[in-house]
Amino acid sequence: MITFSRSLLVGGEFLDETTLRLHGILEDHIYAMEIQMDVRVPDGVILAIEGWMKRYTTPVCPKAVDILQWAVGLSVREDGWISRVNREIGRKGCQHFAEILIECGRCLDPARMSMAVGEGLKTYPAQSPAQISRSWVEEHPEAQGYCLARP
Amino acid sequence: MTLSFTRNKIVEVEPLSENLLGIGWRLTDSLTEAEILMKVRLPGLEITEVKARMERCPHPECSSAPGLIQKVVGVRVGPGLRKIVQGLIGGSSGCAELTEGVLECCNAVILHFTVPQIQANERGTEEERWKRHQEMLRFNPRLVRSCVAFADDSPLMQGLNL
Repeated sequence: MITFSRSLLVGGEFLDETTLRLHGILEDHIYAMEIQMDVRVPDGVILAIEGWMKRYTTPVCPKAVDILQWAVGLSVREDGWISRVNREIGRKGCQHFAEILIECGRCLDPARMSMAVGEGLKTYPAQSPAQISRSWVEEHPEAQGYCLARP
Repeated sequence: MTLSFTRNKIVEVEPLSENLLGIGWRLTDSLTEAEILMKVRLPGLEITEVKARMERCPHPECSSAPGLIQKVVGVRVGPGLRKIVQGLIGGSSGCAELTEGVLECCNAVILHFTVPQIQANERGTEEERWKRHQEMLRFNPRLVRSCVAFADDSPLMQGLNL
């Protein structure tokens, strides 16, 4: 029997050419929470954020909703942004909000690459998704140095 | 606006015997589909087995990432875990998704042990629940200052001197 299960869902929609709206939803045996944040695509700056606590463990937990506003102005491209989120939103607010925010932030480049692959396949149907994603990484130095596939 | 990108992550813990937990983790997004199956031995919380699969990935190089994951066998779920796992399978020569996957599996093990404590705290009057929260803090001092509920100025911390 499953004794613990966690689902984390992130959806991304481009509001315009330079703004990505990310919705993050966490649902597990203990917590249910949600975040919506708008990110400026070129520099990764969080323009707006909202949070909802739907299931939590103490009556004090909902105070963490207001602390999310600390993230406005933070760039998910700057060095150490994940540590800052863990410290300022996780430790001073809620660790689970921090986890959702971090997952949303990590989706910025995959969302951009995904859109590029989708559009590329329409324009150049003979190309493979791997070719298009490789070209995209080569054209976007900010997405390099991430892993063995994006050295 | 229609959806441009979606990512779905799920992690599940299932006790396989008295001293063995099975953890399954799956990531599906617009570009990637990956899976980790892990076993953790109790009571030491040591990773004894791990397998990974990359079903779909944005770059051909990603297909070699599952081979890296054997490096985490023997690692214990405990202090310093993030640094250890990051050093073994992360960074620019590793795989960020599988690194996070391993860490999320380990976090799920901790939450598996947390669920019964939370369930016990749900019973009784508000005053009784409040007292049980404070008992939990006394028993688990690592929780102190870990979030807004356990911050120095939180009503839950009143009179505890932790």
